[in-house]
Amino acid sequence: MSRFMDGIELEILWSNLIATVSDQAKALQRIAFSPIVREAGDLATALFDAEGRMVAQAVTGTPGHINALAAAGAHLVAAAPPATLAPGDVLITNDPWLSAGHFFDITVFTPVFHRGRVIAFFGSTIHHTDIGGYGVGAGARDVHEEGLWIPICKLYEAGRPNALLHDIIRHNVRTPDYVFGDLAAQVSSARLGSERLLALMARHGLSDIDELSAEIIARSERATRAAIKKLRPGTYEGESRFDVPGGDVVTLKAAVAIDAEAGEIRIDFAGSSEASPYGINVVLNYTHAYATFAIRSCLDPELPNNHGSLAPIKVTAPEGSIVNCTYPSPVNARHVVGMYVPMPILKALYHVMPERVLAEGAGAVWTIQIQGRDAAGRPFTSSMFNYSGGMGARARKDGPDATCYPTGVAAVPVEVLEAAMPIEFLEKELRPGSGGAGRRRGGDGQRIRFRMRTAAPWLLNAVTSRTRERAEGLGGGEPGAAGRFLVNGRAVSEARKMVMQPGDEVSMETPGGGGYGRAEAAA
Amino acid sequence: MAGYALAVDIGGTFTDVVLRSGDGATVVDKTLTTPGDLLEGFFRAVDLALERASARPAEVDDVIVHATTIVTNAVIERKGPKTALLVTEGFRDVLAIRDEHRYEMFDPQIEFAAPLVPRPLTFGVPERVYADGSIGRAVDEAALARIAAALEAADVVSVAIAFLNSYRNPANERRAAELLAAAAPALFISLSSEVAPQIREYPRTSTAVLNAYTRPITEPYLRGLRQRLVERGFRNDPLIMLSNGGVIGAEIAGRFPVRMIESGPAAGALAASWFAERLGLDRLLSFDMGGTTAKAALIEQRRPLVAGSFEVDRIYRFKAGSGMPVLIPAIDLIEIGAGGGSVAAVDELGLLKVGPQSAGSVPGPVCYARGGTAPTVTDADLVLGFLDAAHFLGGDMRLDRAAAEASMAALGRRLGTDAETAAAGIYRVVAEQMAAAARAHATDRGIDYRGVPLLAFGGAGPVHACAVAELLDSAAVIFPPLASVLSAFGTLVTPARLDLVRGALGRLAAVDWGETDTLLTAMVEEGRAALVEAGCPAEGIRFAFGGDLRYLGQQNEVQVAFAEDPRLLRDRAALRRAFEAAYEAQYGLRLADVEVEIVSWRVAALGPQPARPSRAALPPRPGRPKARRRARFGEQAQPTDVYDRAALAARQEIAGPAIIEERETTIVLPPGWRARVEAEGCIVARREMK
Repeated sequence: MSRFMDGIELEILWSNLIATVSDQAKALQRIAFSPIVREAGDLATALFDAEGRMVAQAVTGTPGHINALAAAGAHLVAAAPPATLAPGDVLITNDPWLSAGHFFDITVFTPVFHRGRVIAFFGSTIHHTDIGGYGVGAGARDVHEEGLWIPICKLYEAGRPNALLHDIIRHNVRTPDYVFGDLAAQVSSARLGSERLLALMARHGLSDIDELSAEIIARSERATRAAIKKLRPGTYEGESRFDVPGGDVVTLKAAVAIDAEAGEIRIDFAGSSEASPYGINVVLNYTHAYATFAIRSCLDPELPNNHGSLAPIKVTAPEGSIVNCTYPSPVNARHVVGMYVPMPILKALYHVMPERVLAEGAGAVWTIQIQGRDAAGRPFTSSMFNYSGGMGARARKDGPDATCYPTGVAAVPVEVLEAAMPIEFLEKELRPGSGGAGRRRGGDGQRIRFRMRTAAPWLLNAVTSRTRERAEGLGGGEPGAAGRFLVNGRAVSEARKMVMQPGDEVSMETPGGGGYGRAEAAA
Repeated sequence: MAGYALAVDIGGTFTDVVLRSGDGATVVDKTLTTPGDLLEGFFRAVDLALERASARPAEVDDVIVHATTIVTNAVIERKGPKTALLVTEGFRDVLAIRDEHRYEMFDPQIEFAAPLVPRPLTFGVPERVYADGSIGRAVDEAALARIAAALEAADVVSVAIAFLNSYRNPANERRAAELLAAAAPALFISLSSEVAPQIREYPRTSTAVLNAYTRPITEPYLRGLRQRLVERGFRNDPLIMLSNGGVIGAEIAGRFPVRMIESGPAAGALAASWFAERLGLDRLLSFDMGGTTAKAALIEQRRPLVAGSFEVDRIYRFKAGSGMPVLIPAIDLIEIGAGGGSVAAVDELGLLKVGPQSAGSVPGPVCYARGGTAPTVTDADLVLGFLDAAHFLGGDMRLDRAAAEASMAALGRRLGTDAETAAAGIYRVVAEQMAAAARAHATDRGIDYRGVPLLAFGGAGPVHACAVAELLDSAAVIFPPLASVLSAFGTLVTPARLDLVRGALGRLAAVDWGETDTLLTAMVEEGRAALVEAGCPAEGIRFAFGGDLRYLGQQNEVQVAFAEDPRLLRDRAALRRAFEAAYEAQYGLRLADVEVEIVSWRVAALGPQPARPSRAALPPRPGRPKARRRARFGEQAQPTDVYDRAALAARQEIAGPAIIEERETTIVLPPGWRARVEAEGCIVARREMK
């Protein structure tokens, strides 16, 4: 019997691995410049074994990043196997199809050497402040317009910076200091992780983590399969519709097949919309990330997240569809569609585990970026900021107001935004009654109104959704109210940056979540 | 003159008292807290101590210091009176919307606590202050009059006013307060610009509301305390312990009760820094493990770290984000959901998990024989032989060892092992949890924890400290005397202190020194007045200056201490250097080309360190073991000497394995460790060289 079969020894080693990647994430989050990383926690860190299998991930981050990082690990190790690496090497990529689905997310992957051989990797993905090209938003016509494409390569070679790559990055991004600061943070957080891992191995007399990793992955896979085997087998279907900037309506169809014999769940997105001409398309990695997230958070939120627990969940989607887009589809604002990926799956799972799912919610957070000139004529570009609508209701609980599912990113405070640029918020309040009625009510959306205190025209880049297609209720619950995006009181739907005039007033009413169960049963 | 000093710490379960005479002789006692009327327990404890010292109230002519859980209780039990909130019109749901963050990503069933002020009692006021401090719109007086009438009609007792950007200019909040006070003189009014004048509307509003919610309870409580002290013949006004690790007069504490939350644990950290001073140690990690949780705090340069904010009433497994934010300086504590009552279980992956569920004191661990059936940490400690069933709490409470063993055997069967191995597993897992939490805390602050000695107290702390120390590479473990009343003791060695913060967002390179001068001078004067009220001689008051700074573009700031009063040299470059040094210490890099912003100024008014001598009364001759029992360390059990702590003499040395018993706790000294009775009666354990 392996020493790791022991539930005490394994608990101690495993919880140490999780603590190590969590510390890596904390170090990264505190040090990063990218506001979305610091305030919203838009990052992922994980430990991989020498074969590139994710063993432990931080209990922070966003679903889109974490599970996409798991897939990136496999691609990175395939492209740069341990035998080709030297101590001090650091790998990098932002290839949308190999990692997190758009250029802004850069993955850094660092091998850990012990006694001359690679025993593990620490990986991290964070959303950078800039990556050149189009900037924030969905308006680019193809992926090349969206910025700098970094193939899998070495950021550091044997401890020395890859000078050519550094030079290319410096010449292709608008905020090189911040990008290099954030890359340095990724590299140093992996160093911290490596030191912790080697110290743990020394304390426990380990020369590698192969056997430990195998045991963790095997147990996680077994537990996940066991949880799936308890479900009623069959294929269940769900469909979710929502409108996106520009006015198109996207349909996502998910067929969720539960194979109780093998303990497997297969999700197929056949019948979903074709890829869009706008940059809201999702690569399969990212679809996989949100699909597996939806399954796992309903199946058992306590299960660990690693290669083993992800393995029994298979995700497929037709090539060229909006959830498996192909080169050269633009992908910049892929979160708009990605954050809806769980919705049809939850609707399918309602037939199997009605107690654990939630009704459709507002879906994607609404994101905003503003550029202009202040009263003194100095140009400014805001960081991207976001607002949530209401969450869907649960079987026994109302949906939280102004809170997003599947992500849970924080909003930047009004005062922080007002201090950073000449913006004046006129309102930020809930929209009472916007959550769908039901035995349990959907969460309310919110109304945000603002204008710019500037004499010059300014640019507004707003990525909204669900302004017509409402969040449906479950089990007889009513739908939530649709969102409304108004400029000077007139509804707009625009995927590209809009030129605004001084004095223009913007009003954003985020959608409400769907209700759960029939309302008359409320008493 | 006897020169007695008195300290009373009211905690959730016990009220502790320490009475110390001018020559350092100390009397301590503990009584049950009286939740109905906390002062009843206060005076019962005081009477007990005075009686044992044969002292009269009039002889207490040194300080009377008090730490109390009244504010925390009012929040957790939602006992506050009807409270209202006034906000800028258009922002009524600031408490309900929070920062929109979903604190636990994987669990779709999580909930958020309902705000302390419901929507119908939240009023929007037509008014506006901009981010630069200019007034966009003065307070609408007619609207205020209508609101005042509505408050009266709703029987509202206390009001918080939290307008946008008031951290930059409090004029509109003050004007609204004047109008309200004129219309309804009996109202308690708390202004966010006074309670927590810092940027970020949600945490500032949350803090002001917590203050408003607890003030109508705290002010009468402190008034009652002062009155009853006078009636009983005490000569001095009490000083109140704050969460920042300082004491202050009852008047200010009553106005800002939110500063008293978590003051008991803060006092524990202060006691730790006092021992650091006495033992000549620059750094310590205080480790206080009780029944349901453990708390740890880092002491750096003999002072506890002070953080700018914390959360109260976390409703989901102590998880950050599940509580209410409190934007005030507080001793930087980590709370870990593992204590003596924490329950052990085997999860679906076959792993041994400990906590965060706790059996509490009712039903309590299995061995308490009060109906508990789930095996706990205390049960494991008993099965391992670390605790003595016959001498728990000095023999006042008999433990049921057979029941503990049976529960451990059941756990062992699920793990495929025996009862004792399962218990040893719990002991190890708990140590790992503590070590992981301490490492995470240190990592967050860019501190290297290795080698830092541990100071262990609380009922379960000394049982587990050496195991934690082994994982953290701690140089030593210190077991102070009075470990069971250490927080009360801590208040006695706490200097008067008031921390003041004012938001002042702007580029460092463009700091307006005239404006800054006015601001800092006002803060200094406010601090001086508060400390004089607390009985400090004006000439003994020092001021420490600092700020919250960041690189332009970053969202979180770093707290920086300035070596000098910034008003003197007006040296922007020196402030930048101080920031960069602090930033580099935390993150390991500097960014020479990036501009620096100052977000807030900080001033700490500090009273003199109380110079109260201590005297540990130790027996003249080394004590011998009082018993020998089987205790399990690592893989196997062995006969282990048991000592009575009270019998140990100065400089006496004991080699592990050994067990040293006190009434409220037990020191476990594993093999390979050596303990020695050192300064101040501390037992210091060190690992022997292999």
